[in-house]
Amino acid sequence: MNDPSSNGASTDELIACPDCDALFRAPVLEHAQRIDCPHCRCRISEKKRGTLQRSAAFASSAAVLFVVAHFFPFVSIEAGSRGNQTALFGSVGALYANGSPGLACMVAIFIVAAPAAAIIGILYVLLPLLMGRRLIGAKAVCRFVFDTLPWNMIEVFMLGILVSLLKLSKLATVHLGISFWAFAVLILCVTASFSMIDRLDLWRRLEAVGGKPEGAAVS
Amino acid sequence: MKTVAYPKHTAAARGLACCHVCGKVEAVAEEKCARCGAPLHLRKPDCLQRTIALTIAAALLYLPANLLPIMTVDTLTGGDDPSTILGGVVTFWNTGSYPVAVIIFVASVIIPILKIMTLLILCVAARYNRRPKSATKVYRLTEVVGRWSMVDVFVVAILVSVVQLDSLMSIRPGPAALAFSGVVILTMLAAHTFDQRLIWDVTRPFEDEP
Repeated sequence: MNDPSSNGASTDELIACPDCDALFRAPVLEHAQRIDCPHCRCRISEKKRGTLQRSAAFASSAAVLFVVAHFFPFVSIEAGSRGNQTALFGSVGALYANGSPGLACMVAIFIVAAPAAAIIGILYVLLPLLMGRRLIGAKAVCRFVFDTLPWNMIEVFMLGILVSLLKLSKLATVHLGISFWAFAVLILCVTASFSMIDRLDLWRRLEAVGGKPEGAAVS
Repeated sequence: MKTVAYPKHTAAARGLACCHVCGKVEAVAEEKCARCGAPLHLRKPDCLQRTIALTIAAALLYLPANLLPIMTVDTLTGGDDPSTILGGVVTFWNTGSYPVAVIIFVASVIIPILKIMTLLILCVAARYNRRPKSATKVYRLTEVVGRWSMVDVFVVAILVSVVQLDSLMSIRPGPAALAFSGVVILTMLAAHTFDQRLIWDVTRPFEDEP
Protein backbone atom coordinates (compact mmCIF):
# COMPACT_ATOMS: atom_id res chain seq x y z
CA MET A 1 0.00 0.00 0.00
CA ASN A 2 2.94 2.25 0.65
CA ASP A 3 4.40 1.78 -2.77
CA PRO A 4 3.00 4.45 -5.11
CA SER A 5 3.91 2.58 -8.28
CA SER A 6 1.74 -0.44 -7.51
CA ASN A 7 -1.63 0.26 -9.03
CA GLY A 8 -4.14 -0.35 -6.27
CA ALA A 9 -7.89 -0.74 -6.43
CA SER A 10 -9.89 2.07 -8.00
CA THR A 11 -10.94 3.37 -4.59
CA ASP A 12 -7.34 4.14 -3.67
CA GLU A 13 -5.95 7.59 -4.18
CA LEU A 14 -2.51 9.17 -4.11
CA ILE A 15 -1.70 11.04 -0.93
CA ALA A 16 1.34 13.15 -0.10
CA CYS A 17 1.99 13.95 3.54
CA PRO A 18 1.74 17.72 4.13
CA ASP A 19 4.52 17.49 6.74
CA CYS A 20 7.18 15.33 5.11
CA ASP A 21 5.90 14.95 1.52
CA ALA A 22 6.01 11.14 1.61
CA LEU A 23 4.00 9.74 -1.30
CA PHE A 24 1.73 6.75 -0.80
CA ARG A 25 -1.60 5.24 -1.78
CA ALA A 26 -4.47 5.03 0.65
CA PRO A 27 -8.08 3.96 0.31
CA VAL A 28 -10.79 6.61 0.35
CA LEU A 29 -12.03 6.54 3.91
CA GLU A 30 -15.36 5.04 4.92
CA HIS A 31 -16.79 5.59 8.39
CA ALA A 32 -14.56 5.93 11.44
CA GLN A 33 -11.17 5.43 9.86
CA ARG A 34 -8.03 7.46 9.72
CA ILE A 35 -4.85 7.78 7.72
CA ASP A 36 -1.46 8.37 9.31
CA CYS A 37 1.66 9.15 7.32
CA PRO A 38 3.79 5.96 7.08
CA HIS A 39 6.98 8.04 7.22
CA CYS A 40 6.54 10.72 9.89
CA ARG A 41 3.41 9.25 11.53
CA CYS A 42 1.43 12.49 11.53
CA ARG A 43 -2.35 12.38 11.21
CA ILE A 44 -3.39 13.15 7.65
CA SER A 45 -7.06 12.43 7.46
CA GLU A 46 -9.73 11.23 9.83
CA LYS A 47 -13.29 10.42 9.04
CA LYS A 48 -16.17 10.18 11.45
CA ARG A 49 -19.85 9.71 10.82
CA GLY A 50 -21.93 12.71 9.74
CA THR A 51 -19.30 15.31 10.50
CA LEU A 52 -20.33 17.68 7.73
CA GLN A 53 -23.90 17.78 9.03
CA ARG A 54 -22.67 18.51 12.55
CA SER A 55 -20.22 21.08 11.28
CA ALA A 56 -23.01 22.84 9.36
CA ALA A 57 -25.22 22.74 12.46
CA PHE A 58 -22.53 24.35 14.61
CA ALA A 59 -21.85 26.95 11.91
CA SER A 60 -25.56 27.85 11.78
CA SER A 61 -25.69 28.39 15.53
CA ALA A 62 -22.49 30.40 15.24
CA ALA A 63 -24.17 32.67 12.68
CA VAL A 64 -27.00 33.49 15.10
CA LEU A 65 -24.63 33.95 18.04
CA PHE A 66 -22.41 36.17 15.93
CA VAL A 67 -25.23 38.68 15.44
CA VAL A 68 -26.10 38.66 19.15
CA ALA A 69 -22.46 38.92 20.19
CA HIS A 70 -21.67 41.86 17.95
CA PHE A 71 -24.75 44.06 18.16
CA PHE A 72 -25.94 43.74 21.76
CA PRO A 73 -24.32 45.47 24.78
CA PHE A 74 -21.13 43.76 25.76
CA VAL A 75 -19.99 45.34 29.01
CA SER A 76 -21.12 48.46 30.78
CA ILE A 77 -19.14 50.29 33.41
CA GLU A 78 -20.12 52.78 36.07
CA ALA A 79 -17.88 55.10 38.03
CA GLY A 80 -19.70 57.51 40.28
CA SER A 81 -22.50 59.06 38.26
CA ARG A 82 -20.85 58.39 34.91
CA GLY A 83 -21.47 55.29 32.86
CA ASN A 84 -20.64 53.86 29.46
CA GLN A 85 -21.79 50.79 27.61
CA THR A 86 -20.35 49.26 24.49
CA ALA A 87 -21.36 46.71 21.90
CA LEU A 88 -18.57 44.85 20.14
CA PHE A 89 -19.53 46.24 16.77
CA GLY A 90 -19.74 49.75 18.20
CA SER A 91 -16.31 49.43 19.76
CA VAL A 92 -14.78 49.54 16.26
CA GLY A 93 -16.46 52.91 15.71
CA ALA A 94 -15.50 54.07 19.20
CA LEU A 95 -11.86 53.21 18.58
CA TYR A 96 -11.93 55.03 15.27
CA ALA A 97 -13.57 58.08 16.83
CA ASN A 98 -11.02 58.17 19.65
CA GLY A 99 -8.23 58.64 17.18
CA SER A 100 -6.91 55.08 16.93
CA PRO A 101 -7.84 53.91 13.43
CA GLY A 102 -5.06 51.29 13.61
CA LEU A 103 -6.59 49.50 16.58
CA ALA A 104 -10.03 49.88 15.01
CA CYS A 105 -8.68 48.05 11.94
CA MET A 106 -7.22 45.22 14.06
CA VAL A 107 -10.54 44.63 15.82
CA ALA A 108 -12.51 45.02 12.60
CA ILE A 109 -10.39 42.46 10.75
CA PHE A 110 -9.61 39.89 13.46
CA ILE A 111 -12.83 40.00 15.48
CA VAL A 112 -15.52 41.05 13.01
CA ALA A 113 -14.50 40.38 9.40
CA ALA A 114 -12.49 37.14 9.71
CA PRO A 115 -15.04 35.22 11.84
CA ALA A 116 -17.93 36.55 9.74
CA ALA A 117 -16.19 35.42 6.55
CA ALA A 118 -15.46 31.99 8.06
CA ILE A 119 -19.06 31.42 9.22
CA ILE A 120 -20.81 32.74 6.11
CA GLY A 121 -18.30 31.08 3.80
CA ILE A 122 -18.49 27.62 5.36
CA LEU A 123 -22.32 27.75 5.37
CA TYR A 124 -22.29 28.77 1.70
CA VAL A 125 -20.20 25.69 0.96
CA LEU A 126 -21.68 23.14 3.39
CA LEU A 127 -25.45 23.69 3.20
CA PRO A 128 -25.75 23.21 -0.57
CA LEU A 129 -23.19 20.37 -0.41
CA LEU A 130 -25.39 18.48 2.06
CA MET A 131 -28.20 18.73 -0.49
CA GLY A 132 -25.89 17.45 -3.21
CA ARG A 133 -25.25 20.78 -4.91
CA ARG A 134 -22.45 23.23 -5.41
CA LEU A 135 -23.20 26.92 -5.74
CA ILE A 136 -21.30 29.28 -8.05
CA GLY A 137 -17.81 29.97 -6.74
CA ALA A 138 -18.09 27.45 -3.91
CA LYS A 139 -14.53 26.25 -4.48
CA ALA A 140 -13.13 29.79 -4.37
CA VAL A 141 -15.15 30.48 -1.21
CA CYS A 142 -13.90 27.27 0.38
CA ARG A 143 -10.28 28.20 -0.38
CA PHE A 144 -10.85 31.67 1.02
CA VAL A 145 -12.39 30.29 4.22
CA PHE A 146 -9.39 28.09 5.00
CA ASP A 147 -6.89 30.79 3.99
CA THR A 148 -8.41 33.33 6.38
CA LEU A 149 -8.96 30.89 9.25
CA PRO A 150 -5.67 31.69 11.09
CA TRP A 151 -6.68 35.38 11.23
CA ASN A 152 -9.83 34.59 13.15
CA MET A 153 -8.79 35.55 16.70
CA ILE A 154 -11.99 35.49 18.71
CA GLU A 155 -10.57 33.16 21.36
CA VAL A 156 -7.57 35.44 21.85
CA PHE A 157 -9.98 38.36 22.15
CA MET A 158 -11.87 36.48 24.87
CA LEU A 159 -8.68 36.21 26.93
CA GLY A 160 -8.19 39.94 26.34
CA ILE A 161 -11.71 40.56 27.63
CA LEU A 162 -11.06 38.58 30.83
CA VAL A 163 -7.81 40.46 31.47
CA SER A 164 -9.40 43.86 30.88
CA LEU A 165 -12.37 42.94 33.11
CA LEU A 166 -9.91 42.32 35.94
CA LYS A 167 -8.29 45.66 35.23
CA LEU A 168 -11.63 47.45 35.00
CA SER A 169 -13.07 45.95 38.15
CA LYS A 170 -10.49 47.93 40.11
CA LEU A 171 -11.51 51.20 38.47
CA ALA A 172 -15.27 50.98 38.20
CA THR A 173 -18.33 48.77 38.59
CA VAL A 174 -18.59 46.39 35.65
CA HIS A 175 -21.72 44.69 34.35
CA LEU A 176 -21.55 41.90 31.78
CA GLY A 177 -24.05 42.18 28.94
CA ILE A 178 -25.85 39.40 27.09
CA SER A 179 -23.37 39.51 24.25
CA PHE A 180 -20.53 38.48 26.57
CA TRP A 181 -22.15 35.07 27.01
CA ALA A 182 -23.11 34.87 23.34
CA PHE A 183 -19.48 35.54 22.47
CA ALA A 184 -18.26 32.76 24.76
CA VAL A 185 -20.60 30.22 23.13
CA LEU A 186 -19.74 31.60 19.68
CA ILE A 187 -16.11 30.62 20.25
CA LEU A 188 -17.13 27.05 21.13
CA CYS A 189 -19.39 26.78 18.06
CA VAL A 190 -16.80 28.11 15.61
CA THR A 191 -14.08 25.88 17.05
CA ALA A 192 -16.35 22.82 17.00
CA SER A 193 -17.51 23.52 13.45
CA PHE A 194 -14.03 23.79 12.00
CA SER A 195 -12.34 21.07 14.03
CA MET A 196 -14.86 18.55 12.66
CA ILE A 197 -14.10 19.18 9.02
CA ASP A 198 -11.70 16.77 7.37
CA ARG A 199 -10.30 18.88 4.55
CA LEU A 200 -9.50 15.98 2.22
CA ASP A 201 -13.01 14.64 2.61
CA LEU A 202 -14.64 18.05 2.12
CA TRP A 203 -12.75 18.73 -1.11
CA ARG A 204 -13.39 15.25 -2.45
CA ARG A 205 -17.13 15.72 -1.95
CA LEU A 206 -17.03 19.22 -3.35
CA GLU A 207 -15.43 17.82 -6.49
CA ALA A 208 -17.86 14.90 -6.67
CA VAL A 209 -21.01 17.06 -6.75
CA GLY A 210 -19.67 19.32 -9.49
CA GLY A 211 -21.16 19.23 -12.97
CA LYS A 212 -23.79 16.58 -12.32
CA PRO A 213 -26.69 17.82 -10.19
CA GLU A 214 -28.15 14.33 -9.76
CA GLY A 215 -24.91 12.95 -8.32
CA ALA A 216 -25.92 12.53 -4.71
CA ALA A 217 -22.51 11.34 -3.52
CA VAL A 218 -23.17 12.80 -0.09
CA SER A 219 -23.98 10.46 2.73
CA MET B 1 15.39 28.00 -7.70
CA LYS B 2 18.28 25.59 -7.92
CA THR B 3 17.54 21.95 -8.36
CA VAL B 4 17.46 20.01 -5.12
CA ALA B 5 17.68 16.27 -4.83
CA TYR B 6 14.49 15.35 -3.02
CA PRO B 7 14.45 12.10 -1.02
CA LYS B 8 13.32 9.14 -3.10
CA HIS B 9 10.09 8.49 -1.23
CA THR B 10 8.70 12.02 -1.60
CA ALA B 11 6.11 13.24 -4.03
CA ALA B 12 8.51 15.98 -5.12
CA ALA B 13 11.04 13.39 -6.35
CA ARG B 14 8.43 12.21 -8.87
CA GLY B 15 7.47 15.72 -9.94
CA LEU B 16 4.21 15.51 -8.02
CA ALA B 17 2.96 18.30 -5.78
CA CYS B 18 0.46 18.11 -2.94
CA CYS B 19 -2.00 21.02 -3.18
CA HIS B 20 -1.69 23.26 -0.10
CA VAL B 21 -5.39 23.90 -0.02
CA CYS B 22 -7.21 20.69 -0.86
CA GLY B 23 -4.47 18.03 -0.61
CA LYS B 24 -4.86 16.64 -4.13
CA VAL B 25 -1.64 15.18 -5.54
CA GLU B 26 -0.96 16.33 -9.08
CA ALA B 27 1.91 16.79 -11.54
CA VAL B 28 3.61 20.09 -10.69
CA ALA B 29 3.74 20.90 -14.41
CA GLU B 30 0.00 21.60 -14.26
CA GLU B 31 0.79 24.83 -12.32
CA LYS B 32 -2.76 25.09 -10.98
CA CYS B 33 -4.67 22.54 -8.94
CA ALA B 34 -7.38 20.95 -11.06
CA ARG B 35 -9.67 20.57 -8.05
CA CYS B 36 -9.47 23.92 -6.24
CA GLY B 37 -7.45 26.22 -8.50
CA ALA B 38 -4.65 26.98 -6.03
CA PRO B 39 -1.16 27.41 -7.51
CA LEU B 40 0.95 24.24 -7.31
CA HIS B 41 4.63 24.03 -6.38
CA LEU B 42 6.93 21.34 -5.01
CA ARG B 43 7.99 23.61 -2.13
CA LYS B 44 6.76 27.09 -1.31
CA PRO B 45 8.78 29.47 -3.52
CA ASP B 46 11.79 31.21 -1.89
CA CYS B 47 10.40 30.18 1.45
CA LEU B 48 13.63 30.43 3.46
CA GLN B 49 14.44 33.95 2.21
CA ARG B 50 10.90 35.16 2.80
CA THR B 51 10.64 33.62 6.25
CA ILE B 52 13.98 35.10 7.33
CA ALA B 53 13.07 38.54 5.95
CA LEU B 54 9.71 38.59 7.74
CA THR B 55 11.24 37.33 10.98
CA ILE B 56 13.97 40.00 10.95
CA ALA B 57 11.34 42.69 10.30
CA ALA B 58 9.38 41.36 13.29
CA ALA B 59 12.50 41.40 15.48
CA LEU B 60 13.16 45.06 14.57
CA LEU B 61 9.56 46.07 15.32
CA TYR B 62 9.82 44.29 18.65
CA LEU B 63 12.03 47.11 19.98
CA PRO B 64 9.57 50.03 19.62
CA ALA B 65 6.81 47.66 20.71
CA ASN B 66 8.47 47.27 24.10
CA LEU B 67 10.12 50.68 24.54
CA LEU B 68 7.20 52.95 23.62
CA PRO B 69 4.07 53.30 25.78
CA ILE B 70 1.22 50.93 24.89
CA MET B 71 -1.45 53.06 26.53
CA THR B 72 -1.98 56.24 28.51
CA VAL B 73 -4.50 56.67 31.33
CA ASP B 74 -5.86 60.20 31.72
CA THR B 75 -7.51 60.78 35.08
CA LEU B 76 -9.13 63.80 36.66
CA THR B 77 -6.42 64.12 39.26
CA GLY B 78 -3.35 62.32 38.05
CA GLY B 79 -2.99 63.64 34.50
CA ASP B 80 -1.13 61.42 32.03
CA ASP B 81 0.14 58.02 33.02
CA PRO B 82 1.77 56.26 30.08
CA SER B 83 2.80 52.63 30.53
CA THR B 84 4.77 50.15 28.46
CA ILE B 85 4.03 46.42 28.13
CA LEU B 86 6.52 45.52 30.84
CA GLY B 87 5.23 48.39 32.99
CA GLY B 88 1.73 46.90 32.73
CA VAL B 89 3.06 43.50 33.84
CA VAL B 90 4.77 45.09 36.84
CA THR B 91 1.58 46.97 37.77
CA PHE B 92 -0.46 43.74 37.67
CA TRP B 93 2.18 41.98 39.76
CA ASN B 94 2.34 44.74 42.37
CA THR B 95 -1.44 44.93 42.73
CA GLY B 96 -1.55 41.21 43.44
CA SER B 97 -3.00 39.97 40.13
CA TYR B 98 -0.28 37.35 39.70
CA PRO B 99 -2.06 35.10 37.16
CA VAL B 100 -2.82 38.05 34.89
CA ALA B 101 0.74 39.33 35.19
CA VAL B 102 2.03 35.89 34.18
CA ILE B 103 -0.41 35.59 31.24
CA ILE B 104 0.55 39.01 29.86
CA PHE B 105 4.25 38.38 30.43
CA VAL B 106 4.16 35.02 28.64
CA ALA B 107 1.94 36.23 25.78
CA SER B 108 3.63 39.56 25.14
CA VAL B 109 7.27 38.98 26.04
CA ILE B 110 8.20 35.30 26.04
CA ILE B 111 6.15 34.00 23.11
CA PRO B 112 7.28 36.65 20.56
CA ILE B 113 10.96 36.23 21.49
CA LEU B 114 10.73 32.43 21.39
CA LYS B 115 8.81 32.54 18.14
CA ILE B 116 11.33 34.82 16.40
CA MET B 117 14.24 32.64 17.60
CA THR B 118 12.49 29.41 16.66
CA LEU B 119 11.74 30.60 13.13
CA LEU B 120 15.35 31.67 12.56
CA ILE B 121 16.66 28.39 13.99
CA LEU B 122 14.23 26.36 11.85
CA CYS B 123 15.42 28.17 8.72
CA VAL B 124 19.02 27.28 9.50
CA ALA B 125 18.22 23.81 10.81
CA ALA B 126 16.19 22.92 7.73
CA ARG B 127 19.48 22.01 6.06
CA TYR B 128 21.21 20.11 8.87
CA ASN B 129 18.42 18.54 10.80
CA ARG B 130 18.91 15.26 12.63
CA ARG B 131 15.61 15.21 14.50
CA PRO B 132 12.88 16.16 12.02
CA LYS B 133 10.07 14.81 14.18
CA SER B 134 10.74 17.23 17.04
CA ALA B 135 11.45 20.09 14.64
CA THR B 136 8.02 19.54 13.08
CA LYS B 137 6.42 19.57 16.52
CA VAL B 138 8.20 22.82 17.40
CA TYR B 139 7.04 24.36 14.12
CA ARG B 140 3.44 23.27 14.73
CA LEU B 141 3.60 24.76 18.22
CA THR B 142 4.90 28.15 17.00
CA GLU B 143 2.11 28.24 14.45
CA VAL B 144 -0.59 27.60 17.06
CA VAL B 145 0.78 29.66 19.93
CA GLY B 146 1.83 32.79 18.01
CA ARG B 147 -1.61 34.34 17.70
CA TRP B 148 -2.07 34.47 21.48
CA SER B 149 0.49 37.30 21.60
CA MET B 150 -2.24 39.53 20.27
CA VAL B 151 -3.95 39.49 23.68
CA ASP B 152 -2.27 42.66 24.95
CA VAL B 153 -3.32 44.63 21.87
CA PHE B 154 -6.90 43.48 22.40
CA VAL B 155 -6.76 44.46 26.08
CA VAL B 156 -5.77 47.99 25.03
CA ALA B 157 -8.49 48.07 22.37
CA ILE B 158 -11.14 46.97 24.87
CA LEU B 159 -10.02 49.40 27.57
CA VAL B 160 -9.88 52.29 25.09
CA SER B 161 -13.37 51.65 23.78
CA VAL B 162 -14.96 50.99 27.18
CA VAL B 163 -13.26 53.51 29.46
CA GLN B 164 -14.51 56.78 28.01
CA LEU B 165 -15.94 58.61 31.02
CA ASP B 166 -15.44 62.13 29.68
CA SER B 167 -13.23 64.11 32.03
CA LEU B 168 -13.32 61.60 34.87
CA MET B 169 -11.09 59.04 33.22
CA SER B 170 -10.15 58.04 29.70
CA ILE B 171 -7.61 55.68 28.19
CA ARG B 172 -5.70 56.41 24.99
CA PRO B 173 -3.69 53.86 22.98
CA GLY B 174 0.06 54.39 22.57
CA PRO B 175 2.26 53.80 19.51
CA ALA B 176 3.47 50.45 20.89
CA ALA B 177 0.02 48.91 20.37
CA LEU B 178 0.36 49.16 16.60
CA ALA B 179 4.05 48.19 16.63
CA PHE B 180 3.24 45.12 18.68
CA SER B 181 0.41 44.01 16.42
CA GLY B 182 2.91 44.43 13.60
CA VAL B 183 5.23 41.98 15.38
CA VAL B 184 2.44 39.42 15.75
CA ILE B 185 1.23 39.77 12.16
CA LEU B 186 4.76 39.52 10.73
CA THR B 187 5.63 36.42 12.76
CA MET B 188 2.33 34.80 11.75
CA LEU B 189 3.11 35.51 8.09
CA ALA B 190 6.65 34.18 8.59
CA ALA B 191 5.37 30.93 10.10
CA HIS B 192 2.85 30.63 7.27
CA THR B 193 5.55 31.20 4.62
CA PHE B 194 7.85 28.53 6.05
CA ASP B 195 7.50 25.16 4.34
CA GLN B 196 7.66 22.40 6.95
CA ARG B 197 8.54 19.82 4.30
CA LEU B 198 12.04 21.33 4.10
CA ILE B 199 12.64 19.88 7.57
CA TRP B 200 12.24 16.38 6.14
CA ASP B 201 14.03 16.93 2.84
CA VAL B 202 17.45 16.18 4.35
CA THR B 203 16.33 12.97 6.01
CA ARG B 204 16.79 9.46 4.75
CA PRO B 205 14.04 7.63 2.85
CA PHE B 206 11.69 5.19 4.56
CA GLU B 207 13.63 3.27 7.15
CA ASP B 208 11.03 0.54 7.26
CA GLU B 209 10.77 0.22 3.50
CA PRO B 210 10.66 -3.42 2.37
